[in-house]
Amino acid sequence: MANYSILILDDEKIVCDMMKLSLEQEGYEVESFLTGDAALKRLKEKKFDMVVTDLKMKGIDGLEVLRTVKQLYPQTSVIMITAFANLDVAIEALREDVHDFFPKPIKIKDLKESIRKALH
Amino acid sequence: MKIGKKIYLATFVNLGLIIVISTFAIYSFNQISTKFRFTVIADKLNASFLEMRLLEKNYFLYGDKEELLEIRKKAQETDVTLNNMRAEILKAVGKDKFLQIKEFLHDYYKLVSLGIASNKRDIQTRTKFRQAGHKLERFSEDITDLGRQHVLEIIDKTSRVMGHSLWIVIIFAFLFSLFIVRTIRQSLHRIVDLTKSISKGNYQKIDTAPPANEMGAVIIAINSMAEELSKREQAIVQSRRLASIGVLVAGVAHELNNPLNNIAIIAQTYSEVYDQLDKAQRIGFMGQIEEQTERLQKTIKNLLDFSKPKDPQLMERDINEVFQHSLELVQNVLTVANIKSRLLLEDNLPDIYVDEHQFQQVLVNIMINATQSMKAGGELTVRTNFIKDKDEVEISITDSGNGIAPEFLDHIFDPFFSTKEDSGTGLGLWVSYGIVTKHKGRIKVNSTVGQGTTFSITLPTSKKFKEYANGQL
Repeated sequence: MANYSILILDDEKIVCDMMKLSLEQEGYEVESFLTGDAALKRLKEKKFDMVVTDLKMKGIDGLEVLRTVKQLYPQTSVIMITAFANLDVAIEALREDVHDFFPKPIKIKDLKESIRKALH
Repeated sequence: MKIGKKIYLATFVNLGLIIVISTFAIYSFNQISTKFRFTVIADKLNASFLEMRLLEKNYFLYGDKEELLEIRKKAQETDVTLNNMRAEILKAVGKDKFLQIKEFLHDYYKLVSLGIASNKRDIQTRTKFRQAGHKLERFSEDITDLGRQHVLEIIDKTSRVMGHSLWIVIIFAFLFSLFIVRTIRQSLHRIVDLTKSISKGNYQKIDTAPPANEMGAVIIAINSMAEELSKREQAIVQSRRLASIGVLVAGVAHELNNPLNNIAIIAQTYSEVYDQLDKAQRIGFMGQIEEQTERLQKTIKNLLDFSKPKDPQLMERDINEVFQHSLELVQNVLTVANIKSRLLLEDNLPDIYVDEHQFQQVLVNIMINATQSMKAGGELTVRTNFIKDKDEVEISITDSGNGIAPEFLDHIFDPFFSTKEDSGTGLGLWVSYGIVTKHKGRIKVNSTVGQGTTFSITLPTSKKFKEYANGQL
């Protein structure tokens, strides 16, 4: 398995830590960020194969990150996670060319499956 | 004693006095008429005696025996008159005087009879005649005078007594009217004070010792009305709190979902990496799950605390802390609505007397309103500062929302006034207004359509509040 790179963005530190640990088990190269600012800064420096981001955050939110990623790296897949199982937001996210959409609480198995499909 | 009863009693007392005075007047007039009738009789007697004396004089001058016979006739007639008028004369001058005049008349009559028999006209006889006649005449004049004097005395006494009694009746009636008017006015003042205080929302200040009269019954009725109003207001306050919770729950769902998600992720990752973990790492994972459950508990507790009805309790608090707690409650609602909050809280504010539970409701209500006016997101600025010269703390909440139309501004604190078409009972700001007023504070609103709205609340510092409570301000 090639070393795909994944960026994780969530304002919950524990989510970042756990997903990082779990995805690293699969052999991915994972970097995690707690704020949109920090993530965008890193994205400008480095191209990631996959971005997993929370939708609602203080400051820069998931939709903004999605747009920036799609602008910088159209090939990079984005997976959106949110605590709000709100249909309007999901539709908007999908319209913005999001790869997948996960309502919280997420199933890591499903997430991994979705990542695998996007990358392979 | 009831006011109606007092009026009846006073009327009866006055009537009694008038009856006594009237009876006295009738009695006095009776007496006057008796005495007066007597003077008429006495005048007649006088006239008869004078006539007899004239005949006596003529007899001694001319020696006509006919004159003596005439005198005797007159004397007999007069005696008949005296007997006929016995009752009146007795009443007027008493038995002694009556007997005396009878005796004098009898003496004179005897002299006349003797004169008729002897036909004597000498000096001795003449002197005897004159003496007896004179006695009779004098005595008659005396009792006539006495009768007249009695009449005058009775008139004097009657007018004096009646004059005094009238004054007593007038003064009594006047004092009593004054007393009744005062009683009614005092009670009316109490009622006015009471209703004023109730209309200001102060339901606690009920009149504890109502007077035992009709006004007391009105005060008791007002007291029970205040109690009812107080209960109803509490019910409205509670219903508003529950309505706020409807809005808060959307945010709380997010706040609950996050730690739940965290627990799920921790558990899933734990199972995946279990074999690679040592004992300390495993304990670390479990610790993190516990942390997340604490976070859940705290959120639920906040919501429960907010929703529970509590008795009002004023305590000295730092308003900044109260503000922070309220912000925690609405933070998620703000996040969901994409609203940034900006806190400009002045440090070291003096404490204020505040019922935190109630006041939180005011702040949450205003902040939720603000959120609803910023449908497309925006900024919420909360500010506190100390106004030193007025000894007050000012709290303001500014949103960057739609603003309120000027024609609505005057009504937003009215009950059942709402600009929200679909939701809103129109009681939130009315309840807030009531709560702020109970804290001896003021709430006002400034708004520009298209720019946003600022709600400012001014509260006295706890020092000033105490002065209010002690009635120094």
